[in-house]
Formats: sequence, structure tokens, C-alpha cells
Amino acid sequence: MSALLAQVQAPEIDYKELSPLFALVGGSVIVLMVGLLGSRFARAVIVPVLTAVALLTAIGLTIWIWEPGNRDPILEGALGVDTLALGISMLFYVAGLVTVVLSLRSLATEQAGHGEYHSLLLGSIAGMVVLAGSESLMTLFIGFELLSIPLYVLCATHLHRRTSLEAGLKYLVVGSVGSATLLYGLALVFGATGAMEFDAISGVLERGEVSPSDPLLLTGVALCATGLAFKASVAPFHQWTPDVYQGAPTPITTFMAVATKAAAFAIFIRLFDHALGWAELDWAPALAVLAAVTIVIGNVGAIPQRSVKRMLAWSSVAQAGYLLAGVVVHTELGVRATAFYLAVYLLMNVAAFAVVVARERVSEHGDDLRSFENLGTISPWLAWPMTIAMLSLAGFPATGGFIGKFYLIDASVAGDYTWLGIAIVIGSVLSLAYYLRLIAVMWMGRYEVELPTVPPRRVRPVAGWSPEADARAQPEVVAVAVLFAAATIAVGLYPDPLFDVARDVSSALPNLH
Amino acid sequence: MTIHLSIVLFLPLASGLVAALLPGRLARSAVLAGPLAVLAYVIVMLFDYESGGGLQWVTNDEWISELGISYKLGVDGLNLFLIALTAIAWVPCTLVAAFSVVERPRLYFFHLALAETAVLGAFMAQDLALFIVFFDLMLVPFYFLIGGWGSGERVRATTKFVIYTLSGSLLMLAAAIALGVLATPDGGEISFALSDLQQRSIAEGSQHWIVLLFALAFFVKAPLFPLHGWVPETYRSTSIPVLALLSGVLSKVGVYGFLRIVLPVMPDGAQYWQELFIIVAVFSILYGSILAFSQDNVRLVLAYSSIAQLGFIVLGIFLFEEKGAQGALFQMLNHGLVTVPLFLILGVIAIRARGSESLSALGGMAFRAPVLAGLFLVISLATLAMPGSGNFIGEMLILFGAFEDNLVYGLVASVGVVLAAVYMIRLYQGTMHGRVGSAVESIDIDRVNLAAIAPLVAVIVALGVYPNFVIDRTEKDVAKNVAAAKRVTNPEVSVIK
Amino acid sequence: MSATSYGWLVLAFPLAGMLIIALGWRVLPGRLPGWIGTAAIFLSFLASIGALVDLQDHPEDERQLVDRAWTYAASADFSADVAILVDPLSVFMCLVVSGVSFLIHLYSVAYMSGDRGYARYFAYLNFFVFSMLLLVLAANFVILIIGWAFVGAASYLLISYWYRRETAVRAGIKAFVINVIGDVALVVAAFLILDKIPSLDFLTVFEGAGAAFGQNDGMLVAACVLILVGAFAKSAQLPLHTWLPDAMEGPTPVSALIHAATMVTAGVYLIARMHPLFELAPTAADVGAIVGCATLVFAGTVAVVVTDLKRVIAYSTISQIGYMVMGASIAAYGAGLFHLMTHAFFKALLFMGAGSVIGAMAGIQDMDRMGGFRRAMPFTFVTFTIGALALAGFPLTAGFFSKDEIIAFAINRGDLYAVLAIFGYIGAFLTAFYAFRMVFRVFLGEAVPEARELEGGHLAHGDPVNPMTGEPEDTDVGFPGPEHHVAEQAWPMKAAMGPLALLAIVGGVVAIPGVSDILEKFLEPTFEDSRFHDTAPTTGAEVWGLVVGGLISILGIGLAWWVYVRKPGTAARARERFAWLHRFLVNKWYFDELYDAMFVRPVATIGGFSKRVIETEFVQGTIVGGATGVVRVGSTFARAIQTGYLRAYALLLLLGVAALTLYFLLNSS
Repeated sequence: MSALLAQVQAPEIDYKELSPLFALVGGSVIVLMVGLLGSRFARAVIVPVLTAVALLTAIGLTIWIWEPGNRDPILEGALGVDTLALGISMLFYVAGLVTVVLSLRSLATEQAGHGEYHSLLLGSIAGMVVLAGSESLMTLFIGFELLSIPLYVLCATHLHRRTSLEAGLKYLVVGSVGSATLLYGLALVFGATGAMEFDAISGVLERGEVSPSDPLLLTGVALCATGLAFKASVAPFHQWTPDVYQGAPTPITTFMAVATKAAAFAIFIRLFDHALGWAELDWAPALAVLAAVTIVIGNVGAIPQRSVKRMLAWSSVAQAGYLLAGVVVHTELGVRATAFYLAVYLLMNVAAFAVVVARERVSEHGDDLRSFENLGTISPWLAWPMTIAMLSLAGFPATGGFIGKFYLIDASVAGDYTWLGIAIVIGSVLSLAYYLRLIAVMWMGRYEVELPTVPPRRVRPVAGWSPEADARAQPEVVAVAVLFAAATIAVGLYPDPLFDVARDVSSALPNLH
Repeated sequence: MTIHLSIVLFLPLASGLVAALLPGRLARSAVLAGPLAVLAYVIVMLFDYESGGGLQWVTNDEWISELGISYKLGVDGLNLFLIALTAIAWVPCTLVAAFSVVERPRLYFFHLALAETAVLGAFMAQDLALFIVFFDLMLVPFYFLIGGWGSGERVRATTKFVIYTLSGSLLMLAAAIALGVLATPDGGEISFALSDLQQRSIAEGSQHWIVLLFALAFFVKAPLFPLHGWVPETYRSTSIPVLALLSGVLSKVGVYGFLRIVLPVMPDGAQYWQELFIIVAVFSILYGSILAFSQDNVRLVLAYSSIAQLGFIVLGIFLFEEKGAQGALFQMLNHGLVTVPLFLILGVIAIRARGSESLSALGGMAFRAPVLAGLFLVISLATLAMPGSGNFIGEMLILFGAFEDNLVYGLVASVGVVLAAVYMIRLYQGTMHGRVGSAVESIDIDRVNLAAIAPLVAVIVALGVYPNFVIDRTEKDVAKNVAAAKRVTNPEVSVIK
Repeated sequence: MSATSYGWLVLAFPLAGMLIIALGWRVLPGRLPGWIGTAAIFLSFLASIGALVDLQDHPEDERQLVDRAWTYAASADFSADVAILVDPLSVFMCLVVSGVSFLIHLYSVAYMSGDRGYARYFAYLNFFVFSMLLLVLAANFVILIIGWAFVGAASYLLISYWYRRETAVRAGIKAFVINVIGDVALVVAAFLILDKIPSLDFLTVFEGAGAAFGQNDGMLVAACVLILVGAFAKSAQLPLHTWLPDAMEGPTPVSALIHAATMVTAGVYLIARMHPLFELAPTAADVGAIVGCATLVFAGTVAVVVTDLKRVIAYSTISQIGYMVMGASIAAYGAGLFHLMTHAFFKALLFMGAGSVIGAMAGIQDMDRMGGFRRAMPFTFVTFTIGALALAGFPLTAGFFSKDEIIAFAINRGDLYAVLAIFGYIGAFLTAFYAFRMVFRVFLGEAVPEARELEGGHLAHGDPVNPMTGEPEDTDVGFPGPEHHVAEQAWPMKAAMGPLALLAIVGGVVAIPGVSDILEKFLEPTFEDSRFHDTAPTTGAEVWGLVVGGLISILGIGLAWWVYVRKPGTAARARERFAWLHRFLVNKWYFDELYDAMFVRPVATIGGFSKRVIETEFVQGTIVGGATGVVRVGSTFARAIQTGYLRAYALLLLLGVAALTLYFLLNSS
């Protein structure tokens, strides 16, 4: 018996490395419990605070275990806690915090129950951390699902709004198709290489035991690419994005927009630039084409939008295209550029979405362009962050967006994908059409701007407040907007710290050229 | 004394920020203080400047080492007077604006100040990436100034303007990055500092398309035919002080880029396109002039005339020869100096014609407004490059260069000179002479505009009397910057004697 | 003080006068601006005399003094200083210009009083004199061109001086543009020269010319022809003459000064100044001679028929300058300049007289309405007649010697030039005829109401109308003013006309064949390098020439007397007889119509075309529209496939997966 036990080898667990994950999971459970308490105070105040605490703890722990360089994965090579994982998960935590703050007065939390809402949020973040750190096909899939399932629910937390439910459902259906595709792809890759761990797979390919152009492998790769493309909303697998982004409660949209994308690209980098690095010649051109297509479709699709959330959704598709360029070139520079841009992307999108949250709570036009008319005079504290976010997204200098694009183009050109760099530029030109329109609406008076011909939707202000209610009634939202806008500018003027982080992140991956 | 370019560069922005925080009346004086201080500083520079002393008062700090972008500023003959032009132009425009803008003045002043900083930066930058940063940054304030304080279809106009210009300059961004990357030797650190780029050379093949993308950006900005699609709307709906700056100063940044970046860094590429660009320039001269005198709206007359003028400048640059380039550079200054007061005067005229800006409704203003007429006359004559004006020397040098290169270009360009006389005199007569226009009530120029315009006229006259003041200070650096291209074009010529 | 410093003074005074008047216009009371202007020019005249005296002290071969003030512009091989060249030629021109200008200023002081632009007028006038003197003193091409353009501008400003007159405005832009054409031609010429001789300074160029260019070198001929174009534009020679008659829109003293005495003769000065180049390029010189000859005949024929008093004199000016250009081009420099001087005297005089008459007619200029002013305006009558005699080349008047010297020189050079000489005599005949056509029609015959009114000592007053179009004047400003002036009632006008009348008679003494050759001797240092220096006709030949010329002028005058005094109505009958000819001449050989059809309209059409088609269709349509169109189509497509239905998504999804997988499989081995 004891001999039997002796044979069973429980994997040796590295608690230090796993501590952030524990913080999240623990937090999730506790929050759920507290959420069951009777008192409104406990639900409406303690729960968010605890969630925040959990996230902050995670941040702290992450900094504690931060250590650049290529490090062996833990848990029998299943999970990597290298700077790539940690760095990207930082983005999840920040996004989470933002979501908590933005949700404070959201109806969604009320309707779904604070406890559930926040615990799902933490759960999803935990999933992202696993995904970002996954070093084997198995962990990859687990993370993927752990990330997705809570999100499906969160999207639908606006129980009394059809669109919200629709969003949740759509996301569920499309998402599960995506997961299925991914799973199949993973299976094929395993079948082809006979290995689970990325190191192993990369090794197999390196030693040429499996030819990079083995049909089985490549089919697998194709399906994996598709699955991830879903999450990253890369064209032509982007179509759920506008609907879901628009339907979901705006805080959740914010979270999806920044965190999910980050997670997806983390695993993109791991899977393609690390595990399948040696098959580069086979997948890189395909992904390059995808990137270009995404850039064009995303920007072109955003132009005729009146709903700002929808517009930002499309723009996030376009951004996915830019980001993909960094993965395609399969160079350290590329990884850095992607990581850097993910961070900047977080800053400017959070700023933008925060403003949307603030506006749709008070305006009868919801997130329609009309509700931003003359924002410059009504409430400059919202107009400026939005303006900065738009300029940054459009890639104007002195904003993070400019540096980010610069970096990506730099990477593309250096990686012999000059045409992809040009594609990014053309995309930015197209994007001016809708970014500038929003700015114009805010600053240049209502009648001058010609709005798209789509009839505006009439919606009750999400918070059910009167249109007269003033944005100043929600200081935390304004604070978030201003803070992140300021950060966007700061990065645009002094990006070096972020560059250092990006360098650490890229250092995690071996055999990049 | 030592000159700190960063001070000059950020003075306007600082004053703009201060003005944005001060209450209305104080804001006025604060916003004026900035440009005035800059002007004073620049005047000191003009005399402290050591002619032919290469790059001076250099500021060179690390900025974004990761991307090889350095914060490098410097002044030499090439940009000294363009900086001066900026400093000179901003004072009157700010002055006029300070007394005319009523709606959201602080915001307006802030943008105006930001614009000056951006333009100064573009002229001072000695790092390609930094140049592009400022080049694009210029658009932001002008986007707001046109769209927020313009008239008529202002948003349409400003959007068109920004998209047009930015599509040019973003392509240039890509090209610039490509240049930086391709120029980096194996194992070398990437750097966008112009001095480094000049050392490192890149394959001729890639020079071709890179130069083309640069040219696109600069031609749109200039503007040159056929990339001037944004001009009519923008000129029609921009408020006068902003328009004066747009047409007088901003249009120079692009063509300056040719002299500063394209010719020295990518001579082969420049040479590859020489013929085409010269033809574009010459055609722009004719096209702009002909359209200028078939316009009825006074703003558009000047709009198209500046297309012709910029044609002259580009022609001069792409001759790859000292006289032409010297003339082009001088002409950049002259054109700026005449355009700014011209637009301010159009503003004055429009006020006296109940906002009407069509020649058919104007006329006969001279009698009750002799001072206005006098100033306008001097400026008009300078604009049509009347001998005895700086503009004449500029155009003469360009023409001489053109003749040396190819008699035909020279002759066609000369036709442009004659046409210029036609449309400028037509403009002057149409507003000042003839029967009194229907809507016109003639009052002489007001104090503010007089204070704004008279000094400019003084400068114009001074340049007419002693143009060598400029040429002497610019000559050597111009020669240096065309040297490479010249060598490529006709190898037998030994450069820099 | 050296001649050059006198030269600078010559320039300084008018400039100062201009600035004082221009800046002080608000404070200077009454006629003060006029007096200031006049004084400035008088000082300038004295300075010229100073230069003359000082120059004569220098030895013959050192009478070409250059003085540099500062470097104007220097880039690569292009270099020009602000410098003046003081030599006999420039001093001679300074004397003529400042002298005549002074008298005309004096005349204007009275004639223009009551005009609401009094100060502006004198500011312009001083500016003109400054420019003209700058032109003649210039030591290099750049300064020359500057002066050249400045006089053009001044002329433009004074032509459209009454700027509320549409006619004046139109005349102004016409004059300006034609002058700019001349300027550009000069610039190009300057380049062609600079290209071969790396300098723009006259003396250097003239020295280097022989070495740099062969006889009739193509480039040099081109350069000289371009110089001629410049000269023709300024001197209203064929085919660039059309602006001068219209220029009569300006006040009469302006016509006297700029469009008769000084500016329009600049072309002659230019040819004389450039003679070393022209002698190397005889072909170009011949072009000049032929054009000058053609012009003098053409203008004469027109002057015979037009009835507007000022325009008759204008065409006569064109014709006379034809003589000078011909003279200068056939190397009769002395003669050409001599005629330039005498012409300045009598033509200015004629204009002043005309002005006086027009004053008496209350602004009417049509000779058909005039007549019998003989008794009403004795002084004007006498002086005008003297002017006419000189113009007609009546024996022993100034014009007699100068004009016939040119013709004599032409005969002397023989072959082609002899032919020119014959045309010269034809021109002379016409000149005599139309000169006295004016005298007889204005002063003799029935006294018109205005004349009788004036005999009563009272000046006629009509309601102001534009003499050309008959449209009522804008009485606010911009017409010759409500009050008119006649020499008989204004002493400054008398004071100006008297001396000129005297000079018109005795001005010839400076060069009378066999008697005096002061002018020749004086100008010699400038022209001694001329190849034709010694080919001047013998005294005998010249005397013969004079005799023939005298007879012809008497014939012409006689015919005029016959037509207009002896048998009035002959003219009318002739007109009916040769209606077609009359129409042709009275329409000035249809030059204006021709140019309108050749240049003005086509350019306007092109402009309209580019505006309508290229701008809207191509620039806005194709480029802008095209780009935005593509994007719009794309976005509508993107929106179309974004139906919101899962099935649609699923479809696209499958397509996507299929495509991707297919791609990878194709890649696989």
C-alpha cells in the first residue's frame, strides 16, 4: 500500500511561483461568499473592495516573483511563470481593477449580484493568467476555457436588456465553436509531434524529427490559429466582436477589449513564436495576410458606426491586426513591440471606455455619437480623456499610440515585412475617419459634423438616471478616464520604463532572432 | 551668451498653458507674451549666429534610445530664417486673434501656442523621427483651430485637411522607419539622427520608394498639383489668423524637409525622381497662376497663388544646384513674409465689406483707406516678385538655376512670373481700385491690424534693400546640403570648392 | 565732392522727397507737398550738374566711374552690388530727366491743385523720378532691372491714378503686365550673359563680351533680342506699344513726364548703354532698326486720324521713339540721344499745352469739339505752336537737327539702312502733317463756346464725365477734380512751359553739323569703343539731309494748312473716300483686338476650363472622390456582412477555417 503510494508522485508544487494565482482564486471564492451576506453594504461595498484587494495582492506578488530571462516552466513543464506571463498578467490585473471601479454603479452588478459578478471576474482573470503562462497544450486549453466561460456569463449580466442577453448567447455559441476548433487543432499538433509541452514541441521541430511542413501538424496549426484568432478577434473571425462589445455591459466590454486581447496575444506569442517557432516559414505568411486583412476590415468597418462602443469594437479588431504584425515577424523586437502595444492599448482603450460609461449613464442617446455632442463645453474632464484616447488610437505623436505604432512598424520593417508596416500606416489613415469624427462631435458643435446615415438608437440611460444628471456624480469614472489618458500622454513622452518591461517580457522566450 | 533652443522651442507652449489657466483679459497678454519672447530670443539668435559655422547651439539628448530617437535640436543656415519666419509670423497672427476671438478664447490661444511650438520643433529637429513627431503634431492644433473656430463647412474642411496631410506624413513615417532600419549596419544601433543617417548610406533601390513617400508627404503639405485637393475648402473656412499661419509658415515645413533630409540623406533617390518632380513643380507654377486669376474669392486667389509659389520653391530645390536651392530657401522666407500680411489684410477688407470676400462685390476701397491701400500695394508688389523686393532675388536665383538646368523649364517658369503680375494686380485693383463695391464701406485700417501688419511690411522692405543679409547667412549650408545630390547628378563636378 | 557722390545725391533727393510726402501726407497743408516734390527734383538737377562738372575735370579715358554701396545679393557665381555708374551717358540722362522732371513738377503744382490726391500724386511722381534716375545710373543688370521695374510700377500707379475710372484701372493693368513682360525679358537676357561672362557689372561684361562671344554668336543675339524686347515694352515699340495710348488715362503732366519725355525713352538709353553687345550682334541691331522704322511709320499713320488730342500726341511719341530706336540701333548713338533730348523738350511742351487746352475744355479731349483758342489762350497757342514746329522738324528748331541727323546717318550707312532712311522721311512728312493738324484744329477756325467763354475771362465748367467712355465720373474721388487750370491763369504752368519752348527752339545748338558738336564730344568717352565711331556722315551729307528734311516738314505743314485752313472739309471728304482705310487706321490697325483674341481670351478659357474640369473632375472627383468612394464601398460591404445573424457568422467562419487550412495544406509537403 505504502509502496503503492510511494510510486504515485504528486508533482512538486512551487507555491511561491503560484502565489498570484492563489490570490485570485482565493479572492474569487471569498468574494462569492461575502456576496451571499444579507446587508446591502456588504454586497455593494465590501465585495468590490475585496476584489480590488485580491487584485492588488496579485500585483504585489507578481512584482515579488518578477525575474527576467528564460526560465523553466513549473508543474512538470505545464505552466510558465516567466516575465512574459507575469508582464501580461499585470495587464489583466489592471484591467480587472478598472472594471471593478467602472462597475461600482453599474446596474449589471445589481442585477447579477455583486458576489457572482466579481467572483466571475476574478475567475476569468485567473483563467487568463493560466492561459498567458501555459507551457503545454493542456494548460493552454484549460486556461482558454477558464477565461471564456465566466465571460459568457458576464456579458449577459444586464439581465433586463435584450442586447446584453443576446451578446452573452452569441459569445457563448461562437466562443464554443472557437474553443472546439482550438481543441481539435491542439489535438492534431499533439498527434503530429507527440509532445504536450511547448519546449518539447519546439525541440521536436528543431531536431527535425517532424518536418515543419508535415500536413498533420500544419492542419493543427491552422485550427489553433483559428481558435486563437477568435479570442483576439482577428478577421475573418472577428464578427462576434461588434455585437458582443455593444451588447455587453460597458465595464465588461472594457475588460474584454483589453484583457482578453492581451491574453490571446500572450498565447499567440507562446504558441507560435516559441512552440512553433521552427515552423515559422509555414505560418508566418498566413498570419501576415490575416493581419493585413484584419487591419483593413477593422478600420473600414468602424467608419460607418454611430454607436461608440461598436466603433471601438471595430477599432479593437483593427488593433488586433496591428498587434498580430508583431507576432508574425517572429523576432525579439516583434514580441517587445506587441507587448508594448498591448500596454498602450490598455491605457487608451480604458480611457475611452470610461468616458463611454460616464456618458451612457446620463445621456438619453446611450453610447450613440449624439450623446457626445459638445462634450468639450459640457464636461471637458470627460472630453479631454476621450480626445487623447482617440488621438492616441489614431497614432498622433506625443501619445503612447504613436510610439506603439512606431515600434510595430519598426519591428515589421526589421523583420522583412515592410509591406505589413505600410499596411499598418494605411490602416491608421483609414482610422482617422472615425476617430476624428468623434473628436469633432465633442469639440466642433453638433450641426457641422455629418454623422453616418444609420438611424440612432433610442435607449434609456443605462443607469436609469435623468439626462440632466451630471457626469460629476460619478467621480471614480472620471478619475479613471483622466488617469489613463494622462498615462497615455506620459508613455508618449517618456516610454523608457515601459520599454524596459517589454524587454524583460521578450527575454522570456528562447530562440528568437 | 549661450542660446538654449529648448527654451525657444517650449516658450510658446508654456505661455499657452499659462494663458489657458488665466482669466480672459490676463490670458490675452499672457498669450502675446509667449510669441513676443520667442521673437526677441530669435532676434538675438540672428545676430549671435556665426555665418557658415555649421550646426549651432546643438541640444542632443537621449530620448527614446530603444527606437534610436534622440532629442537633437540645432540651427544652421538652412533653418535659421525659417525659425525667424515662424517667430515673426506668430506675433501678428496672435495679436489679431487676441482681439478678434471671442468664443472659448483660452482654448484657442492654447492651440495657437501649441502650434508654434510644433512648427519650431519641426524646423529645429536634427533627428528624422523627432522631425516627424513635430511634423504630425502640428496637425493637432490646426485641426482644432480650423474645425473649432472656422466658418462655413469647417469640420468637413478640417477633416479633409488632416486626413490629406496625415496620410502623406504617415506614409513618410513608414518610409522614415524603413530608412532608419535599412541604414543600420549589422550589429549597429539604430539611429534617426540626421548626422548618422548621412554617414550611413542605403541601397539605391530602396532610396527610390522612400524618397517617393517623403515627397508625397511634402507635396501634400506644400501643396503642389495634383495633391492640393484639400486647399479650396480649407482656405475658404479657416479663420484669418490661422489661415495666415497655415499658408505662410506651415507650407514651408514640407519643402524644408527636402533640403534638410531628402537631398543630403538620399541623393540617389532624389536624383531618380528629379525630372518628374521638376515637371510637377513647373506645372504647378502654371496651373496655380492660371487658376489664381480665374478665382473670384479673394482667399482662393491667394490659395492658388501659393501653389504657384511653392512650385517655384520645389523647382529651385530639385535643380540640385546652389543658386536654385539658395533661391528656394530665400523664397520660403519671402513667401511666408508676404503671405501672412496678405491674409491679415484680406481679413481687414472682409470686415469692411460685411464679410464679403468675392472680388465682384469689392472695390474702390483705397480712397477712404489710404494706409491700408499703401500697405497692400507694397505687399502685392513684393508678392509678384517686383524687382527690388526680396522675392525678386529669390525668383531670379531660381530662374537662373532653372535656365542652367534646362532652358525650357526656365522659360515656362518665367511665364509664371508674368502671370503672377496679372493675378496680384487683379487682386489689388479688384479690392482697392475701381468703383466702390456694393457692400463696401471704406474705413482705414484699425490700430490692431496696423500694429500687426506694418512691422511685417517694414521687414519686407528691408529684405528688398539688403537681401544679402539672408543669403550670406544661408549660402554655405545650402551648398552643403545640395552637394551630395549635385555630385550624384553630374559626377564630374567637384563639390564644396 | 566726387562725381559718384553727386550721383548718389541725384538719387537721394527724389527718394527723400517721396518719403517725406508719403509719410507726411496727413500733416502737409495745401500745395506744400507739391513744392517739396519740386524742390527735391530741383536739388537732384543741381546734383546732376555737379556730377557733370566734376566729370569734365576727369581726363577723357577716366570718365567711367563706378561706386559700390553694399553687396546686394551674392550666391555662387551670381553676384550684384548696389552700385552706380557715372559716365557721360548716365550724366546726360540724369540732366535731361531731372531737368524736364523739375519743370513738369512745377507745372503740376498748379495743374493738379484741387485734386483730392494731391500728396499721393507728388509722392508717386518723386518715386518715379527716383526710379528713372536709378535706372540710368545703374552699374549692373540687377540694379538696372530694379530701376526698370520701379519706373514701370510708378507709371502703373500714375496711369490708374484716378482709380475709380474703370478705363484707368484697365489701362493700368495693361501697362503693368506689358512692362513685366519686358522685365522678364531683361532677366532672361541677363542670365544668357551671366552664363558666358561670370559677372553682371556692365563694364566687366562689355570688356569680356568680345572674348566670350563671337561675331553674331547665337546666344548673344538671343540676349540682345531679349534686351530689345525689354526696350520695346518700355518704349512702346511694335508690337508691345498698345499700352501707351491707353496710358493717356493718367493726368496730363504724367503723360508729359513719363509717357513722353523720360520713361518711354528708357529703351533708347538701354540700347545705347548696351551698344558694345549690339555691335557684336549686328543681326539683333538690325532687328531694332527695322522695328523702330516700322513703328515710326505705323504710329504716324494712326496719329493722322485719331481725334483725341492726348492720343494724337501719344502716337506721335511712339513714332518719335521709333526714330530714336532706329538711330541707336544703327549706331547713331549720339544722334539718337540728341533726338531723345530734344524730343523730351518739345513733347513735354506739347503735352503741357494740351493739358492747358483740356483745362479750358473742362476735361474734354476730343479735337472735333475744339477750335479757335488762338485768341483765348495766346500763351498756350504760341508755346504749343513752337512745340509743333520742333516736332515737325521745321528748319532751325531743335527737332530739325536731331531727327535729320539720324536719317542722315542711316543714309550714310547705305544699303538696307538707306531704305530705312526713306521711311524715315515718310514718317517725317506724316509728323509735320499731324503736328499742324493739331495746331490748326485746336487754335484756328471757329471759336467754340468754351473758347469764347474763356475770352470773357471765365473758365468753362462741364459736369464731369470720363472723356473716353462718357460715363459720369465718381465725384467722390478719382477724376481730374472739379476745377481746371489753364496756363494763362496759373503762373507755375507758364513758368514751366516758357523754358521748354525756348529749349524746343534752341535746343539744337548742342549739335549743329559743321557748327557745334558739343554733345558728340561729351558723349565720346562712352561710345569711343564703338566700331562705327568714325563712320559718322560728313558735314556735307548732313547739310544735304537737313535741306531735304526741312523741305519735307514744310511740305507736311503746308498740306495740313491746305486741308484744315484753306479748304476745310477736305478731311471729311477724304474720310468718306477712303472709309476702309480710315476705319483701319482709327482702330489702330486692330492690334488690341488681335491681342485680345491671341492671349487674353485663350488664357481666360484655359482658366475656366481648369476651374470647371480639372479641379472638380480630376482633383476633387478622381483623387479625393475615388479614395473616399473605395472606402465607402468597403464600409458598406463590411456592414452588409455584419448581419448580426449567427448563421451568417458561422458561414464566414467556416470559409475562414477552410481557407486557412487549405493554405497550410498547400504548404505542406
